[in-house]
Amino acid sequence: MIAASPTRPVRIALLGNPNTGKSTLFNRLTGLRQHIANYPGITVEKKTGDMVLSGRQIELIDLPGTYSLAAASPDERVVMDALGGRFGHQAPDLIVCVVDATNIKRNMLLVSEAAELGIPMLIALNQWDAAKRNGLLINHELLSDRLGVPVIPTVAKSGIGLEDLKKAIGHALAEPRQIPRILWPEFIEEARDLVRDGLAQLDVDVTGPESLRMIFDTDSAFADKIGHKDQLHGLLTAAREIIRSRGMNPASVEAVLHYRHLEALLDGVIGGDGRVARTRNSVDALLLNRFWGTLIFFGVMYVVFQSLYAWAGPLMDLIDAGTNLVREAVSPLLAGTPMLQSLVTDGIIAGVGGVLIFLPQILLLFLFIAVLEDTGYLARAAFLMDKLFGWCGLNGKSFVPLLSGYACAIPGVMAARTLEDPKARITTILMTPFMSCSARLPVYVLLIGAFVEPVYGPIVAGWTLFVMHFVGAAVAMPLAWFMNRCILKINAQPFILEMPDYRVPTFRNVFIRMWERGREFVIRAGTVILAFSVIIWALLYFPRSESVAEKARETFVAVQSATMPAGEVAAALANPDSELSLKLSHRIDGAYIEQSYLGRFGKAVQPVFDLAGFDWKITVGILSSFPAREVMIATLGIIYNLGADVDEGSLRSILAQEKWHDGPRAGQPVYTLPVVLGLMVFFALCMQCGATVAIVARELNWGWAAGSFAAMTALAWAAAVLIYQIGSRL
Amino acid sequence: MKTLGKIHHRMPLEIVSVASDCGRAGRLAAMGFLPGCKIRVSRVAPLGDPISIEMEGQEISVRRAEADLIEVKEVK
Repeated sequence: MIAASPTRPVRIALLGNPNTGKSTLFNRLTGLRQHIANYPGITVEKKTGDMVLSGRQIELIDLPGTYSLAAASPDERVVMDALGGRFGHQAPDLIVCVVDATNIKRNMLLVSEAAELGIPMLIALNQWDAAKRNGLLINHELLSDRLGVPVIPTVAKSGIGLEDLKKAIGHALAEPRQIPRILWPEFIEEARDLVRDGLAQLDVDVTGPESLRMIFDTDSAFADKIGHKDQLHGLLTAAREIIRSRGMNPASVEAVLHYRHLEALLDGVIGGDGRVARTRNSVDALLLNRFWGTLIFFGVMYVVFQSLYAWAGPLMDLIDAGTNLVREAVSPLLAGTPMLQSLVTDGIIAGVGGVLIFLPQILLLFLFIAVLEDTGYLARAAFLMDKLFGWCGLNGKSFVPLLSGYACAIPGVMAARTLEDPKARITTILMTPFMSCSARLPVYVLLIGAFVEPVYGPIVAGWTLFVMHFVGAAVAMPLAWFMNRCILKINAQPFILEMPDYRVPTFRNVFIRMWERGREFVIRAGTVILAFSVIIWALLYFPRSESVAEKARETFVAVQSATMPAGEVAAALANPDSELSLKLSHRIDGAYIEQSYLGRFGKAVQPVFDLAGFDWKITVGILSSFPAREVMIATLGIIYNLGADVDEGSLRSILAQEKWHDGPRAGQPVYTLPVVLGLMVFFALCMQCGATVAIVARELNWGWAAGSFAAMTALAWAAAVLIYQIGSRL
Repeated sequence: MKTLGKIHHRMPLEIVSVASDCGRAGRLAAMGFLPGCKIRVSRVAPLGDPISIEMEGQEISVRRAEADLIEVKEVK
């Protein structure tokens, strides 16, 4: 009997192949009592949930779906580590193996591998209904007798068999049982002992199953963790030589022997005519058709993109309006303390609004992803598009994240979760911010409208806008290729895609996915985004010495008095609603931003951007747009003394008139075509978006986030400099 | 003898061997690509790669480069 000690609950792990309905079962068993975290040091998410079974507190762990325990990367090793209680993991008390009833033999390979670890097991034979529909007759009682553990037919989607499963879990905890382990032939044991004893002499303690993993996996991530590289390599080569001397292939011997072992266990268990799902074949004939399949694919992707780009709009406007409403309601309450007022309205409330604004797109995208994945279409989509991405280290599943990146990088980066291969997932996440998101659009429109359209006409302007949307992607693809070859030291895995049967998604599953992702984002990334917002606010607000306002006021009064009687100026300024008062307050805002820490910093680093022809105003505009790219326009409005709610027309005309005040270019216009093009390309390539940094840090880690921020900024800068230097010499 | 990646027809095939000393071949073996197994190329993606393999009632898609780790012979 497994007893929960007072300090810890009973721990149960869910183990199974991808597409078995394992996560659906997990959702069924835990409901919304789920916790999502990252395993330390890797990019795999750790999903745990609470469950109470006849008064006992149970912690359920949803292990990542996998076909075998083979691990070529730390991400893949997590299942083996979690089951073996290695490297900070605690071994589970019971493993619930989720086996797809429509494909028992292949699913049982993983179970048979895991059985070696000696942990009590029980089997949920899921998708029982589909197996019956496919004409399979499965004698689950016979299977249970053979395996010596309970085998429970379940349909996780509809909840059939769930009560039996819970009961069986209770029994299994009271009376733990294991399934018969594979009997390795003598030469495998010999190879295993060779490695184990050899490592023991180096004072490294590994278990038998771990030794075997290192022998079977040519690029074992476990071996990387052990150290003693050279000695270990010698041991493994010798061990594989033993296997080879028996005429076996070390790469496939594990699968061959396990399948042989399983054949005996499964003999007579599966009957029926086993007709292949006919509907699947006929639907595939259409959806994977060269012409129709491609057409339908683009149709589906158009709907997904349109939903993010257009349909999410009204919801986002609503959140925006709500944020402004709260700001206006709170603002007068704090009128007595201007600093607090600004912190609360411009820093905190704007920051919270800036987090919530992402929710409509995230929820919509995950609605589609859940539906596409659960129906089985996502695998087909990946099959259709894989060739486009394969050459640069991405794969067919990168399409949805990258496409979403055109609306917004945040949901796009989150969508990269659908990629199982760690190397392809990391590459996809790092490339998504290069896609031209909708927040870059206002900046393009402003600059093209002010400098390209008046000179070259609307057709060239239209084409410029079009081309700007592909600058990022054109840079990202070769960059991905380079990263894959030279930077990412992770063993590439074959792109093996199982085409699952078509299924109808359940509302419950789709809802849980959306809820989970939304909550995840708000709690984990949202707090960081809010912090960024407050930090940038503080850098723009402080130091707020009264003398700055005084001086701006004096200068303003002096300038105005030159054109009209001083009395009239004073009278107009006495009325806070007069045009002159408004102008003055814009002047003061402009003076404050120039004197702020961020303004000073912008002026200090301006020489770096000078090579791209950017003046300090552009530099500060870029720096201040970190909380959200589109903020650039409001900041430019303030800097050019037009106020934050500047309309585009007046901003355009003032940009066109802006001239260098001093330096070698004194008197020349700031915004020349090379500067404008350089600025747009800078915006296309840089990662000047706090929310993207936060989500990359959340999905990968802070190292990747900081690294890609620095690399993208450097790349954007270099491109802008190149364009300016070449362009201004032509 | 041909490798699976080079097959351009839909006729039944039998796996002869999978590559040795290669972690990626181990993954294919775990999916059931083992000597003696009867398979068939059932579909080709619109751009020519990857290919979809029918094996014991399941459909598994692999890239041609990885399919080349599998040696096959035609079954009459």
